[in-house]
Amino acid sequence: MSRISRRGKALLGLAALTAATFSAASPAAAKEFILTSVKPNTLVLVDPAARKVARTYKIASPGPVMGIVPSPDGKVAYVVTNHWGSLIGIDLDTGKEVFHTDFSAQPDMSAPAMRVINTFGLEISPDGKELFVMQSPVKLGKAEYQVQDTRIAVYDTRSGLAAEPVRLLPVPRRTTHLLFSEDGTKLYCLSWDLYTLDPKDGKVLQVTKLLHWDRQNYAEPDIFGVWGQYEQAHVFINPYFTTRTDLDPKDPASAKTGMLTLDLKTGAVKLADFEDTSVVIFSSVVNPVRRNESYSVYSTLTKTDLATDKLVKRVALPHTYYTVNVSGDGKEIYVGGTMNDIGIYSTDSLKRIGEVKMPGGNDQAITWVRMVHR
Amino acid sequence: MKHVKPINDKARLVEKAAEDGKTAEVQPMQTVAGCATTFDPGWETDPFGGVASLCQPMEADLYGCADPCWWPAQVPDTINTYPDWNSEAPSAQRDWRKLQIVFPKK
Repeated sequence: MSRISRRGKALLGLAALTAATFSAASPAAAKEFILTSVKPNTLVLVDPAARKVARTYKIASPGPVMGIVPSPDGKVAYVVTNHWGSLIGIDLDTGKEVFHTDFSAQPDMSAPAMRVINTFGLEISPDGKELFVMQSPVKLGKAEYQVQDTRIAVYDTRSGLAAEPVRLLPVPRRTTHLLFSEDGTKLYCLSWDLYTLDPKDGKVLQVTKLLHWDRQNYAEPDIFGVWGQYEQAHVFINPYFTTRTDLDPKDPASAKTGMLTLDLKTGAVKLADFEDTSVVIFSSVVNPVRRNESYSVYSTLTKTDLATDKLVKRVALPHTYYTVNVSGDGKEIYVGGTMNDIGIYSTDSLKRIGEVKMPGGNDQAITWVRMVHR
Repeated sequence: MKHVKPINDKARLVEKAAEDGKTAEVQPMQTVAGCATTFDPGWETDPFGGVASLCQPMEADLYGCADPCWWPAQVPDTINTYPDWNSEAPSAQRDWRKLQIVFPKK
């Protein structure tokens, strides 16, 4: 066991002690829904208990939906759409658009044209007052494009239908995930390494090495983290893949799959291998009740024990799914993305116990699957 | 850059970037971080050199890759140049016959 893993295990124990606090903080009286999307540019609210779509919301913009964050009170869904070019807020009660910003919009038309797109990173502050959007700007000249520094654009959620950033924070290139600490004082930015920023001014508070880790005889890990699905356990989890440099590349034991976890309450980071790489995994989620259990998807559904860093069970899925989330009571897994259904699985047996078909039988593609209480 | 000589301005900029140590800004993924690694040609091979770990079926992955411009060389660029390429085919598995090749606009 590596030094990182031993330290991580201690931190995971601390996280388990705080599980009851998380459960008490969740709105127990509110009903739980799945919030996702389907082509063409339609937001979908699913009632998982009834196993059916509760409501759909057509978004008046080119699509598709590329990222979703619900407001903490479950009333508004903020979605990135317009080919990564706009952020739109939809009131889930009225269906009306209550927030809109086009990232490339320029008040000063005499300035050189800029093309600004979001790539994956999207987060809302725990108090629901500010939105944080990862952006890549490019200056469009007549004969050349000039790549600008990447940034986080911060928006006031009360800005209405012509929102402009209230501030811009510098952020390393290649940042894919933006994640708030539970108390709202830290913004975690997942890039080659994990940067902890002060969300007020972007000051770098801490850098936790990931790609630049110092594990002896291990190559740099690859971490492909693009789907936000950490709201139930308040733990971000993402698979990583690496290789042992001291073994023959033909040796199956030379390729390792592990899990990166970031506890959004304590800030504890853990990296631990759990198997010789045998399947592709795209995304994972932590059970909010049995907090040592995580579930991962791609063409298989995998249950992993985070306390022992062991593979518990793996079953085949009927088709590939990109994303996974879990019910607040820790009993059901929801797999989604790619095609036209949300698959429902038991966290105990990993048996398929239900499904919800998407409207029109259309694709979900790269959308996120979020849980909301309302 | 010992064996390659720049012959135009763009190539000279690349050489200068290398001299300034900026080339490390882009680095290929080296192991398994997708159904096919970023520099692979597309849906032909998975990280294990076979096809079993590609998305199943292939149509499940088509828009997940096309919409965020993950495979800009294999499918039309829906972020910048052909945003409506798949707008008439919301289900890849059902509607794939409606997907057309594209040509540069004159």
